[in-house]
Amino acid sequence: MPGSGPAPSRRALLGGGVALGLGLLLTACGSPEASVLEAPAGEPLRGGSLRVGLAGGGAADTLDPHSPVSTTDIARVVNLYESLLYRDEDFALKPLLALSAIPDATARVWTVALRPGVNFHDGRPLTATDVAATFARVTNPEDPKSGAAALSILDEVKVIDDLTVEFRLNTPTATFDDSLGQYALGIVPADFDVAHPVGTGPFKADSFDPGLRSVFIRNDGYWRDHQPYLDELVILNFSDDDAMLNALLSSQVDAIGQIPLALLEVIAADPRISILNSETGAWLPFTMRIDKAPFDDVRVRQAFRLAVDRQQMIEQVLSGNGALGNDLYAPFDPGYAGNLPQRTQDIGRAKELLAEAGYPDGLDIELVTAPIQAGAVEAAQVFAQQAKAAGIRVKIRRVDTTTFFGDDYLSWTFAQDFWYTRNFLPQVNSSSLPTSPFNETHWDDPEFLQLVEAATTEVDETKRNALITQAQEIEYERGGYIIWGHPNQADAYQKYVAGLIPNKTGLALSGFEFRRAWIGVTK
Amino acid sequence: MSTVDDAVEQGVAVSRPPRLLARMMRQRQAKVGMVLTLAVLLVALAGPLLLPWLTGHTSTEFTGRPFTDTGVFGTDNLGRDVLSRFLDGGLRLIIYAALATALGMVVGVAVGMTAAYSRGRVDALVMRGNDVLLALPQLVFALLAITVLGPQGWVLVVVIGITHAPRIARVTRSATASVITEDYIRASEMYAVPKWKILLTEVLPNITGPLMVELGLRMTYSIGFVAALSFLGLGMQPPTADWGLMINESRIALVVQPWGVLLPVAAIAVLTVGTNLLTDSLARASANMNAGK
Repeated sequence: MPGSGPAPSRRALLGGGVALGLGLLLTACGSPEASVLEAPAGEPLRGGSLRVGLAGGGAADTLDPHSPVSTTDIARVVNLYESLLYRDEDFALKPLLALSAIPDATARVWTVALRPGVNFHDGRPLTATDVAATFARVTNPEDPKSGAAALSILDEVKVIDDLTVEFRLNTPTATFDDSLGQYALGIVPADFDVAHPVGTGPFKADSFDPGLRSVFIRNDGYWRDHQPYLDELVILNFSDDDAMLNALLSSQVDAIGQIPLALLEVIAADPRISILNSETGAWLPFTMRIDKAPFDDVRVRQAFRLAVDRQQMIEQVLSGNGALGNDLYAPFDPGYAGNLPQRTQDIGRAKELLAEAGYPDGLDIELVTAPIQAGAVEAAQVFAQQAKAAGIRVKIRRVDTTTFFGDDYLSWTFAQDFWYTRNFLPQVNSSSLPTSPFNETHWDDPEFLQLVEAATTEVDETKRNALITQAQEIEYERGGYIIWGHPNQADAYQKYVAGLIPNKTGLALSGFEFRRAWIGVTK
Repeated sequence: MSTVDDAVEQGVAVSRPPRLLARMMRQRQAKVGMVLTLAVLLVALAGPLLLPWLTGHTSTEFTGRPFTDTGVFGTDNLGRDVLSRFLDGGLRLIIYAALATALGMVVGVAVGMTAAYSRGRVDALVMRGNDVLLALPQLVFALLAITVLGPQGWVLVVVIGITHAPRIARVTRSATASVITEDYIRASEMYAVPKWKILLTEVLPNITGPLMVELGLRMTYSIGFVAALSFLGLGMQPPTADWGLMINESRIALVVQPWGVLLPVAAIAVLTVGTNLLTDSLARASANMNAGK
């Protein structure tokens, strides 16, 4: 990663480049004898080991179910533990360890019925006491875990009987089930200890080397019939994309998560490799601070939004692998304002708006960018190029990720950010309320807040969705985000791997649900 | 300095050793070095002038999807024409490297000559301070300064120049030390010529040999540093076309679309090898009157 670690000398750099080139050449020549060119079909086969390569992670990696940080952490947590509800491949909220989660008329008390017959890895049955203990662990004021932020509304988890719990909230929340569906809320036994990572997931922990690899074995007592199919799941850390990709091409791993979109077509051309191209609701916005000049004038914000050629953004930054954005987040929310016209580039109108706002000769603006996510720095460059036509002279200031998320984070006037798929209300909680932890645009619109408040307490789904649509219309008219697109998530795997399907959550490789994966042919 | 009587000159003109540059250029490796250096300089200086006439595109224009075969050398990570970016990417690198080297030379030579000529305590003080600065790895210091001050052109030049200075000062001091004991310096001193004038008119012309070598060497390093800092994202800022930046931007597609990396790598390599060969020959020429014979 630029900006960290010792700087390589020029000689090392050149040498490294040459060595890499030669290595790849050798790889290409010595293709493995047992390459499979046909995807397996028919009934899933049992057995075999799946080696998954993921970039990121390091010495701080953990098996703690409630504080996953890196991609590899998430992959492990999803396979060892299970939460009450979860987001499936269509981003629909589905029951997992719960059978149902039902609010009362005030949306203050949520009753959750647990799935009977579920056992932990050590054989003990899952009970309501474990659920209460899990939530106590997550919201422990001494050591709050990553799910705790969304649970600040939770007052008490009351055990009703062995398989029923009540969540009592201090604020009416009609979408509390969404909070229960976080992957970082895996249910663990009451006496849980990270040294003995016991959950109800399809795999059991066998060995774990932080930053290197973890080996999981099949949970024979898993509650779903037949699953998982694999005997063993190995998750390997890679420090960069190049190494990960080379490991896949030389068959040292069976599947890798998140490949650069620009390389997708080329990797897909390899007959041994399959690509999993998943549409997501993730977004990589430009953030304009609405309380600071020049963006305190709504006409300037609109002009910036009109200066963007969204289709070209997707072509250049994502190599065409993405969906058009309409300056709105949460595209999979049932209340998404799909009725609004797609915003397109309109340089003439943008110039008019800038002139009206007092910038007849255009304006100079500094855009702070950092490699916070694949495509971020690239998007900044494409924007700078497009905005030129409207008289917006963008000066790109590229900083490293640490600086970007340092003291000035959330106070940059014009910058970028990255968000994974979320529904509207949880997203608003994270980024669009004056009290949100990541309100980059300093958005504080009274009318918007009123609608959000009403939607949060509205139990009737149709009415709630109507309120969400109205709130999104305000965001569309006056908001501080430029949301030009929703990048796809692309993964690659060997043809002999089966059972992986596109997943809208934005998590790699079928949302890491390896319980469904199976090996088609012996390697 | 070494003026000879007309009569004598006519007699021994044949045996008079050729000047430094002539001694350098008659070596074969200097000729090779000159050709390599000039070739890259030509690309870097003329490149920006040829756009968009030669390739049909400017260096920041989008010509297709990323990493495709559009154009002579394909497209880069944002779908821009690699050849256009290559042609536009060398000028700033070379200008920045030259300015940084010049700055380092001026500061380093001034400090080195002053230290050597003052002798005694001042010399010791300056040179020990110099040693402390030498202990700092150059690139690490540059990274620190740029992180604090932000990646701007002048910061790049000043930081690289300043970190060169102690190294140049050291060479200058030892070269000066061997000159200041000469009789003509004593003579000037007796005529009460101001010290600065002695340094400029008597000492400096007599240490040009080692200084030229140092100049070439530092130039090579400067090119490497500017390119390396750009590669690390701390030098030239996108969307500027720059060789170092190009390598970083296109390296994820080294297997697929290697030109975005190979062209700038080759240019930087050829340029540094070229300047190194020149410097090497210069060093030989200044040490040996018969170099290249």
